[in-house]
Amino acid sequence: MYLLGHLLTEPVGVVHYMIVGAVLFTCGVVCMATKRNALGILMGIELVLNGANVNLIAFGSPYLRGAEATIGLDGQLMAMFVIVLAAAEAAVALAIALNFYNNFGSIDVDRANQLKG
Amino acid sequence: MQSIVDHLVSDTIATSLPLYAPELWLCATIVVLLLAKLIRGLDRVDPAFIALVGSLIALSTTAPASGFASLSELQPAELFTGMLVYDGVTIFLRMVLLLFVVLLIVLTKLTRLADPVDGQDFYVLVLGATLGMCIMASANHLMTVFLGVEMASVPSYVLVGMIRNRRAAGEAALKYAVFGAGASGVMLYGISLIAGLLGTAHLPTIGLELARLDLPGLMTASEQLGVLTALVLAGLMISVGLAFKLSAVPFHFWCPDAFEGGTAEVAGFLSVASKAAALALLIRVTMAVCSPVGEAAIDRVALVDQTVVVAVDSSAQPAQTVESRSPLSPVRTYVAMLIGIAAAATCTFGNLAAFGQTNIKRLLAYSTIAHAGYMMMPVAALAGLTGSDPMDASQAVASVLIYLAIYLFMNLAAFAIVAFLGSAMGSDNIDDYGGLIKSAPAIAVSLVIVLASLVGIPPLAGFLGKFAAFAVLAKAGTPLTLTLLLIAGVNTVLSLVYYWRVAKIVCLRPEPTTRGPLTLGVWPAAYTTLVTAPLVLILLFPAGLTNLAEAAAAGLLP
Amino acid sequence: MNPAATLPAVLAIAWLLPLAAFAVVWIGYSLPQLAGRRPGATAQRFAGWLATSAIGSSFALSMFALVVWLAYHPLGGDEHGGHGAPPSYSGDYYLLAQFGELRLSIGYYIDALTVAMFAMVTLISTCVHVYSMGYMDEELHEVADHEVATSDGNYLHRPGRYHRFYQYLSLFSFSMLGIVLAGNLAMVFVFWELVGICSYFLIGFYYERPSASTAANKAFIVNRIGDFGMLIGLMALWTSLGTLQFGDTQLTARTSAGHVKMVVPIEQGIFSKLRSEDQHYHLDASAMVRSAETDESAHPGYWLLFVAGLGIFSGCVGKSAQFPLHTWLPDAMAGPTPVSALVHSATMVAAGVYLVGRCYPIFVPEALLVVAVVGAVTLALGASIAITAFDIKHVLAYSTISQLGYMMLALGLGGWVAGLFHLVTHAFFKSLLFLCSGSVIHAVHSNDLRHMGGLRHKMPWTAYTMLAGCLAIIGAGVPIWGIGFSGYFSKDAVIEQAWSFAGANPSPTYQLLLYVPIAGAFATACYMFRLWYMTFVGEPGHPHRFENAHESPPSMVGPLVVLAVFAIGVGWHTPFMSDLSVTSILEQARPAGTQATTSGTLLTELTLPDEHLSHEPEIADPASQSAFFAALLGVLLATMIYVWRWLHADEIRQSFAPIYKLLSNAWWFNELYQWTFVRPTLALSRLFASIDRWVIDPLVNGLARLFAYAAKLLDRVVDRGVVDSSFDALAHGTWDVGLALRRLQTGRLRQYMVFLVVGTLGLFAIASLCWKYALAG
Repeated sequence: MYLLGHLLTEPVGVVHYMIVGAVLFTCGVVCMATKRNALGILMGIELVLNGANVNLIAFGSPYLRGAEATIGLDGQLMAMFVIVLAAAEAAVALAIALNFYNNFGSIDVDRANQLKG
Repeated sequence: MQSIVDHLVSDTIATSLPLYAPELWLCATIVVLLLAKLIRGLDRVDPAFIALVGSLIALSTTAPASGFASLSELQPAELFTGMLVYDGVTIFLRMVLLLFVVLLIVLTKLTRLADPVDGQDFYVLVLGATLGMCIMASANHLMTVFLGVEMASVPSYVLVGMIRNRRAAGEAALKYAVFGAGASGVMLYGISLIAGLLGTAHLPTIGLELARLDLPGLMTASEQLGVLTALVLAGLMISVGLAFKLSAVPFHFWCPDAFEGGTAEVAGFLSVASKAAALALLIRVTMAVCSPVGEAAIDRVALVDQTVVVAVDSSAQPAQTVESRSPLSPVRTYVAMLIGIAAAATCTFGNLAAFGQTNIKRLLAYSTIAHAGYMMMPVAALAGLTGSDPMDASQAVASVLIYLAIYLFMNLAAFAIVAFLGSAMGSDNIDDYGGLIKSAPAIAVSLVIVLASLVGIPPLAGFLGKFAAFAVLAKAGTPLTLTLLLIAGVNTVLSLVYYWRVAKIVCLRPEPTTRGPLTLGVWPAAYTTLVTAPLVLILLFPAGLTNLAEAAAAGLLP
Repeated sequence: MNPAATLPAVLAIAWLLPLAAFAVVWIGYSLPQLAGRRPGATAQRFAGWLATSAIGSSFALSMFALVVWLAYHPLGGDEHGGHGAPPSYSGDYYLLAQFGELRLSIGYYIDALTVAMFAMVTLISTCVHVYSMGYMDEELHEVADHEVATSDGNYLHRPGRYHRFYQYLSLFSFSMLGIVLAGNLAMVFVFWELVGICSYFLIGFYYERPSASTAANKAFIVNRIGDFGMLIGLMALWTSLGTLQFGDTQLTARTSAGHVKMVVPIEQGIFSKLRSEDQHYHLDASAMVRSAETDESAHPGYWLLFVAGLGIFSGCVGKSAQFPLHTWLPDAMAGPTPVSALVHSATMVAAGVYLVGRCYPIFVPEALLVVAVVGAVTLALGASIAITAFDIKHVLAYSTISQLGYMMLALGLGGWVAGLFHLVTHAFFKSLLFLCSGSVIHAVHSNDLRHMGGLRHKMPWTAYTMLAGCLAIIGAGVPIWGIGFSGYFSKDAVIEQAWSFAGANPSPTYQLLLYVPIAGAFATACYMFRLWYMTFVGEPGHPHRFENAHESPPSMVGPLVVLAVFAIGVGWHTPFMSDLSVTSILEQARPAGTQATTSGTLLTELTLPDEHLSHEPEIADPASQSAFFAALLGVLLATMIYVWRWLHADEIRQSFAPIYKLLSNAWWFNELYQWTFVRPTLALSRLFASIDRWVIDPLVNGLARLFAYAAKLLDRVVDRGVVDSSFDALAHGTWDVGLALRRLQTGRLRQYMVFLVVGTLGLFAIASLCWKYALAG
């Protein structure tokens, strides 16, 4: 409670960004773990990656962290890389999901239980 | 500004690109493969041939400039402004990976997995994944860690699902892709946290920062506990990604399904190449965290700050000497324990769950998990040894390298045999392997040799690998490593069960009535013999391999 | 060329060539027979040629060695005159083992005797090899053995064994040459036994015949009895003197790289130890004892040396068929005739005499007296039985026994050159006689003298070469002119020495040692010409056999002629270099200190005169004349009975019936031995066998059964009950755990993702525990 009040009254700092990132991350993880729709799971993955992106941007900003504690341009660069990689991964995962649909006739991941044991 | 640009250009062109030659050759081969269909004369050339030529050239450029004899004196160099590192481990891993790719291309040619029509897709994916693995093996920055992991994994997702019409392949690809994406997402979050906490994403600098952070002091001061918790959590998240690549328990769930669903060649690729790169990455991260370059200076500084003064008792008790504890020793112990527990759980789980398997590829998947466990144990010892004994620490790295090289041949041979038999019999069921000793004697004998080597029976090569790993554990001598040694020994005994069951079925069971006649040409037998021969010969001439591995590992520690 | 290096090398090659032939025939012919392949007739003939060429080459090499020897040691020069050591070369080919001071080696001792013996043995062996190519030709094809009946009443049919004959002949030649060449007594003993084994093989060549296999056994066992004594003698010598080498060895100390570091003074052989130079080569028995005894009158070591000499002699008694171990030689005639010619007349039985001659320096005069007495008894025994024998080969066998007695007598009386000279001449004429008898047997297919008669018209070559042999053996010659057959010279030498001995020892018992050889000369002439007349003169005893008789082929007649030449001429001096003769060569090899007249120490009145004294006219003339007349009387008696028929053999037989019975049953020695030795031994062995079967076997079997029962009990209770069940439980437990773990892999993707999250959190929990522990230590 004390922490929430502190967060709502302070000027926007790195902590706020971190919390947004953490919320995105958690939503993504929950999405990945619980969705039955394969596309929903992919959306969850995107959320996770973007949560990390927010973190990286926040850490890279000299205004939010201060001049000596920031990771500087590394943050922005890493975020760029991550966006590209996320896009590539999403493309591949979508292709795989399409292939799965062609084979199984449904996008429900619970139908994929042939391989077990 | 100008100086930055000049520095960048000179660094890139003069230093980094020449040392980056193998990966550049791989890129060139990928480009040629992609464009082959468009060029008039090139479209009739078999893409396998292009891939083979390209990877052979890349393999030939892995040799260091001053030759292998002076490998141990090679000074580590940072490439691309610290993104990658070039040292003995890089060279060794590149050689392992590229040699494996060459042999894999020959294998796929023999099993006709990639026909000339859409073979280029297959080879582009394989070479792309290899490129990612090479990056993983020489990563020096958390960005390249993530980049390498992704670059290695994403083509693998597609490779597993390569056969479009098979339901098992589609299912396996989906599971692998989703699980992998999730794990690397978690790892990225951990990377971001670490980068923020320590102010840098460059691995050696992370180590220095950790040392400067003065963790013991942090532990006692309770208000900094949040930082500690964040560090631990971030580290754990990064290790989730590493564990996923290594198929360590409890992040191994993708492994059996992906191996069973994919073709045997792709399973072999995943089993050998990605494990090798993952282990190299594990070593890099461990080394960075436990023994960063320039730690000696930090030690002395820390010593001055940390002088513990003990009250001298008036009853003339001898004064306690100054404790020369490095500030990184809690990190080392923590890392060692983490890796050790993960290794023990992995190899035990892998061995036990393989008992009741009926599908040979699934059995080999669990065997892969178990061997990953064995290979992680020297890394656990390494984490502990970096502080106390640099010589033994480089010996630990060398033992992992030796095990990797031997593991390459073992698993490649195993999966090659599975591929040949699978295409000849149309089945991957172990019970269908009965009577092979009469129908296909050369392959059956090679299979038995490979199984024996996987168990680690002397005088086959697997014994050498296991021996190197266990020797490091015994030399480290801490309670953790000795427990690991005991667990590894028990697990070797357990592994006898399922490996020997296959051998028994091959040699002693009669031919199953449901199987048709088996026709294997001379090339499969020749290839299998070629790949199995090192298993028998390495123990006769071990010096070449062990010397190379030790030379490669020697430059790693200051 | 350096004779010290050339002679050992040449003689070694000559020695090993027959071994090579044996090896080739054995490996090429006999071993494949185990796999069931039989060689054809041509292949077997090749084996014969191979063996013959090997021994022929050995003969050529021996002659070469003789020439080399004579070149470096010219005859006639009084090199030693009995007052110095004879020229010899001794050394080692190969050192087998060294135990402190004692060295076991394959070595050589080459002196003039060695070279002469080599030449003789190889020559006779070559002649026998050639002869056998004709004699044994029935063995080339399948043989029907008429002396063996199978269980269904037919004669035995068996494949031919031609190559095996040559195999054994080659091995025998190798062994005999080994004895001659040997440089130490241990090597002699090894080859002694080897010669015995070869004799066993050769006598038992027709092993399906009971007579042959029994005879082979008998020969071997009787020889072993003698060898037991020989071992005692060897042991006595070894423990006392510390060496068994004949000659001295120049030891050189070597560094490990093989360079000669320094020359260590000479290690003495037994000859040097017992007759050392500073003692003027007198036999010094005190070398036999190590401790210095001050009491000179007690003759330290004399008895030991006497016993050692007797021990070695007992081996010779067995090998040379002397009394009382003579019973094997007549039975040994069951072997093929070439075997009898080579082994049992010229070489193997001569090995005993040769060994006495070689070891002469270590015999004390009392031991030599024993040798002489045994020789005399044997002489008489053999001659007496030979008069009554009807089997042609038995006559020759007893004649061999008798002549060997002559040699031993000569050696025992101090006549070293006489005895060995008679050995050489006897080898030639006895092998000639045997080969001729073989030729006769081959023609007539019977051994019985009563079946023969008048054969000289049918087989002239055989008849007249045999006549030459008979004249040689009786010592035919003209005393005044001093010419005669070879036997004349050698037998005269023996009798001269006996005359000289009788002169030096007036006691009546010693005089007997002179009368016996002269009577023996009479008997020899008698039975030899009886043999010749019954075979070649008179009416045929069996007309059918006479009809089918024919002369032998040239391969058989050729060796007869060669041997006849030698039988006539080997005693002569060669015409151009009048110094060269067998006697002069042997004279070169005379051991040191043996020429001087010696007296016994225990029997002080025993005197062994110097051999050169026997050549003085006052001894030589009466001796040769008495020998001549004795032989003449014998020939006359035989002629009277068998040619002129003035006396009838049957009447003589009836008038002397008891004596005849005694002689024709060979003095009943076989029966005596059978009752006193053979039967008790067999009874004893039966007793032990029954103890083994009824006492020991049940005990051991019972113990084994007890153990088996205990093992079964242990197996059921401990092994199966405790150990197996615990291991099974462990295995089942592990398997169940494994199967349970499989169920973790549910196959559901969402489950995997959940595990991802749960795993991370779980690790975090573990990590926080680890962290505290990590920081603590």
